[in-house]
Amino acid sequence: METLAFQGLVGLSLAMYLWLLAAGLTIVFGVLGILNFAHGSLFMLGAYFAFTFYGLWGINFWLAILLSLLTVGIVGYLMERLFLRHIYHLDHAFQLLLTFSFILIFDDVAKMVWGGVAKIPAMPSFFEGTFSVFGRLFPIYNIFIIGSGLLVALVLWLLFEKTWWGKIVRASASDREMASAIGVNIPTLFTGVFVLGAMLAALGGALGTPVRVVAPGIGAAMIIQAFIITVIGGLGNLKGAFVGAVIVGVLSAYGILLFPVFELFLIFVIMAIVLMVKPQGLFGG
Amino acid sequence: MKTLTILLLVVLLSLLPLFAGKYILYMTIHILLLSLFSLGFNLLFGFTGLLSFGQAGFYAVGAYACAKILLSVPSLLLGILGGVVMAGVISFLLGLLSIRHTRIYFSMLTLCFGMMIFSLAWKWRDMTGGDDGLVGIPRAPLEIPGLWKINIATMESYYYVVLVSSLLAIYIFYRLVNSPLGLTLQGIRDSETRAACVGISVRNYRLISFTIAGLYAGLAGALLPPLENTVAPTVAHWSHSAEPVLATLLGGIYSFAGPIVGSFLFYIIKDIIVRFTEYWLICLGVIVLVLVLGFRGGVASIFYGKGGRE
Amino acid sequence: MERLKTKRYWPQPISPEPYFTPLKGSIGEELCGRNLQARFCEGALNNQERRLCEMSTRQKLVGFFCLIFFFLTIIVSAPAFAQPAAKPLGVEVIKIGGMGIMSGPFLICGRVIMQGAQLAIEEINAAGGILGSKLELKFMDDELKPAVGVKNTRYLVTDWGAHFIIGVDSSGVAMAIGEIMPELDRIYISTHASTHRLTEELVYEKGIKHIFRTTTPTYQEGILPAIIFSDRTKFPGLTRWAGINCDYEYGYVSWSLFQHTLKKLRPEVEFVASTYAPFWTMDFTPHISAVMAKKPDGIFTTPWAGEGVQLARQALIMGVFDDPTLKVYWHPTGVTTDFLEAVTTEVKADKFKGKLWISGRYVHNWLDIPENKSFVKRFVERWGLYPFHPGQGAYDAIYFIKAALEKTRSLETAKVIKALEGMEMMTPGGLKYIRPEDHQAVYTAPAGRPVIDPAYPIAVMGHFHVIPAKDYFRHPPFEPIKIIK
Repeated sequence: METLAFQGLVGLSLAMYLWLLAAGLTIVFGVLGILNFAHGSLFMLGAYFAFTFYGLWGINFWLAILLSLLTVGIVGYLMERLFLRHIYHLDHAFQLLLTFSFILIFDDVAKMVWGGVAKIPAMPSFFEGTFSVFGRLFPIYNIFIIGSGLLVALVLWLLFEKTWWGKIVRASASDREMASAIGVNIPTLFTGVFVLGAMLAALGGALGTPVRVVAPGIGAAMIIQAFIITVIGGLGNLKGAFVGAVIVGVLSAYGILLFPVFELFLIFVIMAIVLMVKPQGLFGG
Repeated sequence: MKTLTILLLVVLLSLLPLFAGKYILYMTIHILLLSLFSLGFNLLFGFTGLLSFGQAGFYAVGAYACAKILLSVPSLLLGILGGVVMAGVISFLLGLLSIRHTRIYFSMLTLCFGMMIFSLAWKWRDMTGGDDGLVGIPRAPLEIPGLWKINIATMESYYYVVLVSSLLAIYIFYRLVNSPLGLTLQGIRDSETRAACVGISVRNYRLISFTIAGLYAGLAGALLPPLENTVAPTVAHWSHSAEPVLATLLGGIYSFAGPIVGSFLFYIIKDIIVRFTEYWLICLGVIVLVLVLGFRGGVASIFYGKGGRE
Repeated sequence: MERLKTKRYWPQPISPEPYFTPLKGSIGEELCGRNLQARFCEGALNNQERRLCEMSTRQKLVGFFCLIFFFLTIIVSAPAFAQPAAKPLGVEVIKIGGMGIMSGPFLICGRVIMQGAQLAIEEINAAGGILGSKLELKFMDDELKPAVGVKNTRYLVTDWGAHFIIGVDSSGVAMAIGEIMPELDRIYISTHASTHRLTEELVYEKGIKHIFRTTTPTYQEGILPAIIFSDRTKFPGLTRWAGINCDYEYGYVSWSLFQHTLKKLRPEVEFVASTYAPFWTMDFTPHISAVMAKKPDGIFTTPWAGEGVQLARQALIMGVFDDPTLKVYWHPTGVTTDFLEAVTTEVKADKFKGKLWISGRYVHNWLDIPENKSFVKRFVERWGLYPFHPGQGAYDAIYFIKAALEKTRSLETAKVIKALEGMEMMTPGGLKYIRPEDHQAVYTAPAGRPVIDPAYPIAVMGHFHVIPAKDYFRHPPFEPIKIIK
């Protein structure tokens, strides 16, 4: 019994990490209508920058995360202004292909700039240590991840529900024509939303550096999982992405404990079932 | 003019073994396989408007089915037929489930199914050999029991088998696409509601398109094991599904010969790039970027304008 | 009225025009629209918008020139159509084709194969080459995929003219290219891929004589620890083992060999938990917690390179090494430079509490022989990192080729095979003997634990635990290993 509860907790921290990844993806899709493959690359860049600032240059951990967020925000800004702006009117297939090309490019750029060998920074001292939960040891780091995930969910909810900017974004997402008719500057709004998505991706990458290596290709490895979560939850739906992440994370953890043979399958089976039962995703429509 | 070029090409291909080295033959066979794969994919994408990311799954079904058959009954014809039929059946069944969705959800669902086939191939060691795959597959002779038997153990003879199958398949595809079926599919792509109003069962036609795409993927897959003598689960991975997508994009989505031209270019580009540098991903990425931004009709559009007349 | 500028950015589905002219009066005409002069963009109302969608003459010209340039590149780099067969020794250049993984968290392993081979080649060329012929290396990325490995091998041999093939990290790729070596009539020397099936099945059983291996096989992962940890006096109470393994051949085989051997030597052990992690697993915490739930005394792991680093780091924060029940954490490829570099700070602070056991097929600071010392010095000078087994194996492969060619004075494959069989050579990794039965190089590599040595900037192996090779290598006739999950 305790084992199950503990595994569930591990699954929850896994889920919160996936949520960080999926949040930006689903926001970008909901507002801009683009399914951004390059989200994985922004995640990888966030991890690389955090590693550089904290691991190589020795800057304070929290400052390093902030800096990496800002840097990737700039990258996202450039990406949107220079490239994505020109493909909004195209078929979704071309948008997918363009963002896919970004993954290929960024992977090699990372290899060229940082050398390609998998690296990991030293462990920040405040993450060492465990709490005793359910009779087992649960790392402080995982608690921190769960906390961050919940904090981000809260902040995003506040942002989109309570602030004026959030209302405009929601309005543009639901009816672009009307929003621009009442004077909303759609292009600037899109840039802003994309930069927000990019920073969320970078946050996921940066927060992972104490326990995950940075290497070219980690973005591509994570992006499929992020896609599946957003699709399960309903594309464009933040609540759906959160619930989807929790489902996938927790079920993955239980899968490893109880049905190890099927673990590889599991995430795809969940998505297939959800899509067949409710084609628009759990909260989509 | 056009028929002349095609005739010239066919003659050139037929005479290739006489003056080309083994590796060029090997490359050409792979290009032909990729062309078949991309043709089927383009039926779904260019003609019906559905972007599928899971075609590699059906390719794998065709490859594994052929491999299993060849390992027990050394008859090439049976192996290829078996592979194609299995792929067709599986694509029909999965199509029933996927067709309800469109656009993004369709792409995601097909990605899903493709990766499920990949996981199955990876995990089911007893049947598929797991991550090692199936090895030692013989290049079985082409035989019709009782009539004749041709030994095709050499690369040259197998090349002819692949060439003949491909030309046949391409011709069938040509007839298919220039028939009312092809037109209907384009009609569905252009305007679903209009098509439905005219009385066409959109769902049925999409299913037909999906199954045919699966059949062609299966054919391409079934021709693989006798060439390489091994099959590994990586043929089902989504990165392999991306190959016909990129090849078709390169060649021209809205033209008939686009996938074929694109496959040739894609394969050659990748082959040449990896000889010179380890940074082939960025080269590929830049090419795709340039294509999407500037040359959406692919190579075909350079010659024919966006109309892409053949 | 002027159109709102913002419409430009709205995602409107472009309806591409049909490529084909519908027959008059057919349903196609109705469906596709009668406008046979269709523009590419449906709904383009004015020239400005149409320009966005259609391709201008300038674009067409640019595209055309790109194509011409591209075809010129092909012609310039096109292979000669008539590829000459391997000439007897007396060719200007002996070509070595190499392959390894050059992407992802395992990149260091492929790259070091190239570095080891290149160092050997540079040394040999500086000393005059092999019987006057220089050596040349071409290294390609096999992406851990058998299909890519086979294709590259075919290219390297039939197109580029490689006389030998070396390398490969992945067991799956090695098994695939091993099978085609007789067809290509070339020798393949594995310098990392470690499945014992390569030598036991392909060479010994099937008789594919073209395959050799200069590094230890999975005996290092599975049998060596079983012998070490079966010692009841040194490791009392080490009876419950769990495994976190790679979800592919390498993981299954190592874990099975370990269980098989340990059960025979110490019958009271039990194997209480086992999980498998596929390629690209980034988060091992569910695996670690699933395994720790069963309270094992020892954990057997196989994830390597970058994944090994992650696993160890995540095990550390989950308190695995602080757990009093856990006595041993076995990481058989822990001497890879990226792993040692990553754990240096933790080893300094003794976070692993002496429970982390590592091994490898070559340990740079173990043998105090001049061959090793000078090799390490030269490698560090040339490449800036400490060598580990795939690189050292590749280095040896080149020198074995040199010794064989000097003996046979011919590039004929059958003769070189005969020369390599039974060859013994002193290498930086010790005395290596290529046994004729399965072409496996037999030599000893130690196990130990990471320590800080002031002579080196990163952690190195210490507390050496040495078992002679003949004791932990399997010998023919080989009984097949059943894969135990």
